[in-house]
Amino acid sequence: MRGKLGLAMFIAILSVAFMMNHAQAQNVRAYMGLSPENNVKVVNFVKEKTGISILQTFQSFGEIEAKVKSEAPNFNADMITGCGSPLAFMAKKNGWSVAYDSPEWKGMTSEFIDKEKFWFNISNFSFVLVGNRDKLKEKGYAMPKSWKELLDPKWKDQIVMPSPFSSGTANMIRFSFLALYGEEQGWKFIEALDKNIHHYTRSGNAPTDLVGRGEFLLGITSDENVKDRLDKGFPLLWAVPEEGIGYDGTFAMILKGTKVMDVCKKVIDVFGTPEFSNMMAKMGYVTPRPAPNALYGDKTPKYIKLDLGYAAEMRPKWNDVWKEKFRTEFK
Amino acid sequence: MAKAEILSIPQRNLWEKIKTFINAELIHILAAILFLLLAIFLLYPILAVLIKSIKSPDGLTLSYYAKFFVKGYYFQSLLNTLMLGFINTVVCLTVGFCMAYLTTRGPLSLRKPLKFIAMMPLIAPPYLFAISLIILFGRNGILTMALGLKWSIYGFSGVVIAQTLAFIPLAYLMIENTLMSLNPNLEESAYDLGASETRIIRTITIPLLAPGILKAGLLVFVMTIAEFGNAAILGGRTPFLAPDTYQMIIGEADFEMGSVLSVILIIPCIIIFFLHSYLLTGKKFTTIGGKPVASEPRKMTPLVKIPFLIISCLAGLVILISFGVVFISSFTRLLGVKNEIVFSHILNFDSNRAIYNSIQVSLIAAFIGAIIGTLLAYVIVRGKFFGRTFIEMVSLSGFALPGTVIGIGYLLAFNTPPIKLTGGIMILALNCVFRFLAVGVEAGISKLHQINIEIEEASADLGANFMTTFYKIVLPIMFPAFIAGFIYTFMTAIVSLSAVVFLVSPGFELAAVKIFDAAAYGEIGIASATTMKLVVIVIFCMVILNYITKKTGFDVSQKKRSVTV
Repeated sequence: MRGKLGLAMFIAILSVAFMMNHAQAQNVRAYMGLSPENNVKVVNFVKEKTGISILQTFQSFGEIEAKVKSEAPNFNADMITGCGSPLAFMAKKNGWSVAYDSPEWKGMTSEFIDKEKFWFNISNFSFVLVGNRDKLKEKGYAMPKSWKELLDPKWKDQIVMPSPFSSGTANMIRFSFLALYGEEQGWKFIEALDKNIHHYTRSGNAPTDLVGRGEFLLGITSDENVKDRLDKGFPLLWAVPEEGIGYDGTFAMILKGTKVMDVCKKVIDVFGTPEFSNMMAKMGYVTPRPAPNALYGDKTPKYIKLDLGYAAEMRPKWNDVWKEKFRTEFK
Repeated sequence: MAKAEILSIPQRNLWEKIKTFINAELIHILAAILFLLLAIFLLYPILAVLIKSIKSPDGLTLSYYAKFFVKGYYFQSLLNTLMLGFINTVVCLTVGFCMAYLTTRGPLSLRKPLKFIAMMPLIAPPYLFAISLIILFGRNGILTMALGLKWSIYGFSGVVIAQTLAFIPLAYLMIENTLMSLNPNLEESAYDLGASETRIIRTITIPLLAPGILKAGLLVFVMTIAEFGNAAILGGRTPFLAPDTYQMIIGEADFEMGSVLSVILIIPCIIIFFLHSYLLTGKKFTTIGGKPVASEPRKMTPLVKIPFLIISCLAGLVILISFGVVFISSFTRLLGVKNEIVFSHILNFDSNRAIYNSIQVSLIAAFIGAIIGTLLAYVIVRGKFFGRTFIEMVSLSGFALPGTVIGIGYLLAFNTPPIKLTGGIMILALNCVFRFLAVGVEAGISKLHQINIEIEEASADLGANFMTTFYKIVLPIMFPAFIAGFIYTFMTAIVSLSAVVFLVSPGFELAAVKIFDAAAYGEIGIASATTMKLVVIVIFCMVILNYITKKTGFDVSQKKRSVTV
């Protein structure tokens, strides 16, 4: 009996000790939708500069949007430190975010800071075309120069791209094609492209790794990890096709109801510093403060003309259209 | 002094009254509390899912269901799911039976290693096999390239293989348990009378095993259709209900359609659950077989031995290779593509917090779960009140409830005040408690059936109050059940994904979710390394628990003997 009592006590003490272990100061809970490794880089940067620990789970932009929507107005996070334009605009409209006039963000263009200071765009990212150098060579195919070339039947089941429900990158890809070709022609292009897509991945960065590993020949992917994977020696080719590429911001904001407002503000401040821009540019992001970009170099890539506000407004409708088109067939 | 005594009499009377009341009614009070807990943490979330699926802004509606059946996509998803569940259950049961037969009746030298291999997948997240299959059979996989295979792992067949491998141990464990408790005398006498081994298996072993096989089948079926890691990673464009539900809730916040899919996912599980309960009534005698008896190794006829060996070894080999591949991959830059040894995956400590959280959640869940399970078993067996069978059914229903459904139910039920639990650690633990409660309850019930109520009555007659009896007699007897519930909850909670994936929040992420994310994202190295760390930690915990149980287990059997004497 004594042994059992001892065991029960042991377990009880262990459990209680575990439960007690959670009180820590200077923590902020955030939804953060960069690629997982870039999330970590940002977390480490903030920790080093301010001592603040950002607690975050990796989620794609679409997933953060879904989460914030379903939690409102009882958010389980204090702030968002990386989401797409649809959520940034939606949060401002619905009063989910808190305005903050950060001294570090003074004088930045309206592309990067909201006029009423409800959101801050910590950096722009884009989507690019990637190919596997070795596999393309094996097949004797050249890297496509334009998006149109992807419709060639020879790419059937050889292309991967993210799903616009979970991934902000895919949402950006979709609204960029719709802006490039016009809505009607744009949908036709997306439908034709669908015939060659093997499957839609959850994360916008997954195609970079899948193509890098040689699982697929081509991928339409977020540019966030391309630089990093090239440095790691993946046999990747990447290109900005001649029609151009789209872009979206990576938005940060403070969520209403946070109990650590001051900590959130400090984090927003850090995002406005030139050092932060420098770090992000080294990964290949286009930053609020000018910094040498490691992926694109000096010259700005050709961008498709976009209206992010309109695209954000149309997102629910375009999601429905997508479902209509791709979730009906019997296979 | 006398004055003080007089003064305290009425008070003491009241206290005595309360004490007698508690003493007499404790089992009912306990039952009421437990039922309340079950209602809040098991029934209410399921109800919340059901309500969500039929409620629209303007009243009740079936329009979401209509959408499900009108769109071929969803229907296809349902068909795929049922097919997957069916194929998997059959294959897992077959392989599980072969392995269990060999480890209980086969050559002694084979028993231990085979058992070890068969149990291995239990300690790893089920989608370890998706990771290893991609490394081996992906389009640029090692074997695909070496053998020039044309077969594509992304699709139905890939998911079936991965899920089968993941749930073989479950089938094995349940069948082996029943096989162990079967008295081998029956088989042996048939053997002595000259019956062939195939005939014995067909006419004696399998019929006696029926309850165990049925239960194993139910568990495998439910787990297969609910654990969506493999399907989400390997499914490609083949739809399955569980990953679709996940996509709808996590990616689109489409709770209505997600709830519809959940309800539809529950239906086959509930049907099988009732079927299983119905078939088992009156067959209980076989499950309570007393002490496990290790049978003497007989010479197996080659007709049985060879196919059993081939099936078991093949399955064992694939399991071993899968673990090996993941192990190597956690030390390789990019296995099969860039084979350099690196330690960056293993030394990547981003997942440390998640692993720590996982252990914490599993320990809390196991502790609470084992207590509630033991108490429930006691109330079910010893209580005599209206609704007892209902409590039993509800507490055992965890066997039949897909994890995704409970996860979504918790999200719907506990996201807003009055009971706001999301964004914390307790929701993760409670979720595991009530999902995995059934095993502890069942173990407790079967333990209680073994002792006669007369012992408790004798104790009461001798003047011991309820608490003393409970503490001195019931608890020691039920302790093994407590441990069984603890270990099962701990092990399943630490690797399971399907429910908790909906409930993690910043600061409270779990290792299983982290691995799934990394794998789905394509970070095979990180996923492998984190899996390996988790496996090592689970083994470590199991060794400690085993050690403690062994030390106290001796004590338990001593006590039991003195009780039965």
